[in-house]
Amino acid sequence: MKLSDLVIRLAYQMEESEGYKRAKQAVYDLLENPHSRARPYFDSLMMALVLSSVFLLLYSVKHHLGAWAGWFEAVAVSFFILEYLGRMWVYSSVHRIVLDEYEKSELINEPFRLSRAVWNILRSKWSYMSSPMAIIDLLAILPSYRSLRILRLFLLFRLFKMFRYAHSIQQFGSVLREKRIELFSLFAFLTFVLLVGSSVIYLFESRETGGQIEGFFEGIYWSLVTLSTVGYGDITPQSFEGRLVTMVLIISGLGVLSFFTSIIVSAFQEKMGEVRDRRVAMLLEKKKGYTVICGFGRVGQVVAEYLAKDKLPFVVIDSNAEAVELARRLGYLVVEGKSERIGLLQMLGVGRSAGKILCLTGDDVVNVYVTLSARQLDENITIISRANQRQSVDKLLHAGADHAIEPFKIVGLIAGEYVGQPVAFEAIHGIVMGEKDITLETIRVPPDSWLDGKTIGEVPLEDMRLILFGVSTPMDRSSDHVRSHFDLESRRFHFNPGADFVLQADDMLLVFGHKYSVLHMRQQLKSGRKRR
Amino acid sequence: MSAEGLSQAKKIVIVGGGAVGLEVARQLTERGERVRVVDDREAVVEKARAQGFSAERISFQNDEELKRIGIGGEVDVLFALLDDDASNVFLVISARAMAPELPIVSISGVRDTIERLHAAGATKVIDPYRISGYKIYERMHRPLIAETLEHTVFGKVNLDIAEIHVREGCFLHGKYLDELSLEERYNLIVLGVVDRELGDHLIFATDPRRHRMDDGDVLVVIGPEEAFRKFHAQLNAVEQ
Repeated sequence: MKLSDLVIRLAYQMEESEGYKRAKQAVYDLLENPHSRARPYFDSLMMALVLSSVFLLLYSVKHHLGAWAGWFEAVAVSFFILEYLGRMWVYSSVHRIVLDEYEKSELINEPFRLSRAVWNILRSKWSYMSSPMAIIDLLAILPSYRSLRILRLFLLFRLFKMFRYAHSIQQFGSVLREKRIELFSLFAFLTFVLLVGSSVIYLFESRETGGQIEGFFEGIYWSLVTLSTVGYGDITPQSFEGRLVTMVLIISGLGVLSFFTSIIVSAFQEKMGEVRDRRVAMLLEKKKGYTVICGFGRVGQVVAEYLAKDKLPFVVIDSNAEAVELARRLGYLVVEGKSERIGLLQMLGVGRSAGKILCLTGDDVVNVYVTLSARQLDENITIISRANQRQSVDKLLHAGADHAIEPFKIVGLIAGEYVGQPVAFEAIHGIVMGEKDITLETIRVPPDSWLDGKTIGEVPLEDMRLILFGVSTPMDRSSDHVRSHFDLESRRFHFNPGADFVLQADDMLLVFGHKYSVLHMRQQLKSGRKRR
Repeated sequence: MSAEGLSQAKKIVIVGGGAVGLEVARQLTERGERVRVVDDREAVVEKARAQGFSAERISFQNDEELKRIGIGGEVDVLFALLDDDASNVFLVISARAMAPELPIVSISGVRDTIERLHAAGATKVIDPYRISGYKIYERMHRPLIAETLEHTVFGKVNLDIAEIHVREGCFLHGKYLDELSLEERYNLIVLGVVDRELGDHLIFATDPRRHRMDDGDVLVVIGPEEAFRKFHAQLNAVEQ
């Protein structure tokens, strides 16, 4: 059998192997996947390893350490090597490249050339090895060959490795990268001034002319010390011309410094929003089933207020800077941006850990769009949307919303009720809106509790100061004694069931009562005693 | 929460024919009330007419015209549902000056305006956003209650919340709340009673301080429509 056939068969085997794929995914989650749970732990471990190995190397400059230091260094380096190889492994898929090459050659009816596949593999791995972070990783491994003194310098690269593990350092790096054009022009200007300064000082202040400058390198050193306004004073100009140059250098040094500072400051200011957003996303990463509120208008504010009161986790998105500022002042997690952006929704965990999304903007087009996007990202997420016009309700439900709320319709309903019975309305409205101490609450009948199997008449509701509104049961329950029952979406509601209605496990009692009475009843059920 | 057949249709004027105004008009018409929409914009009036409402164009800054449409006269309830808060406040003040007893309902989503509308003399200010926000919250965290209420009391199903006025001579008069037992006899759940002499708050039915009913008290009751009918028949029979 030819070698190329063997390679292709091997590649197909790898493609089909579940274990191989799982192993690769596990390594990817550990090293690269920003959303995996294990990643933060791994990063912290590596940071500790880097810091302690650097500390040990520095400590050993003056002190003699035992053999264990050597062992530790060996362990750290082997971790670094494994990490390097692991990253190289998951960077690209070797068997996939072989198969692609093979399938391509099949398509154009040419013999499969192993050499070309190998070349492609090398190229893809090289593109990893030549990336800056990979170079730093490699250089961080090198200091273990301590025979070379210059290699000790590479110790520094271990510290650079921190870039990989700490987000804040990464952000600093990306800020610098974004401003590279400004920084480059500053650097060019600096080089020019340095060159001029050091040439002039060399001309006027060299040993031969009675100054202190030994060579051209000392000229550059002196210029930089002066330009940066550090001014050690180990070399001082003696001649009139030299002092003139010094004055010019100091003034341009001020300019260079302030220019540099302003570049960095403005870059960070521009990045500020992004840094904040990432912080929000990171805080959310730890939670599960939280609510995403799109639109911080009046409705959004009210919902957020209720959620905050119950200490439930949520995050707000709004494109209006004023609304965002308000939310921030109230202490809510908030991101400024358009909720139509799928990327933003994904960053906030829609499709992963978000449990509910509320589309509450004043614009029905946006609400429909966000509803649709959210449903695409996650089939199981609960979506509640606001319909500002009656025609939008069907569209929202069609787009995948679980419920559509119509503020104006609610006003109409309330108006109608108010006109009919103002006194009764005020009374029930306070209860339903949770504004009074009297509330409408559900009490579940736990299996094998003292409620299970009892009739309504046997339950001392009156003594507990509760009024039974009705009982919610599964659809299939029917009772001769119930005078009126209503079928809801998935359950049946028995209004005012008679004294001989038998309760079963997982039935829900809907009761009116003081919130303490309800609490008391729930506690009694929780204690789980089976009273006879 | 309707009480058809128990009381006559009310005459209602809705000022403001925007989205809210028309929605309110629609709901009230469905409940059998006599609704009239007025606005100062011709296009809005046309739109309201096209949807089948009795509509009229008036300038609500003119007291004469307000009087002409029946404020201070035959109108039972006034709704101030204009789009901007200042106009609503102005309208409420004018109407209150003309009719001190008229129930005036207005709408606002801003806390300051709600206070201002109350100060101007509005009987009831609806905050649609607070209510919608609460409904959404309820949907998420108390789904069973939200669903039950939506389908029964606030839905099309004939389960209503209603008030029963206690008058001198009716069989409720002089009784304690807890000895009525309307649950078994009429399939009506008594939530509580509002004693107008003590204020507008509801005295809950299980309140340990027992309440004896007298003239002017209002019972708040939940029940199916036919139960109410039966109850009222009984009530009238006893009275006669």
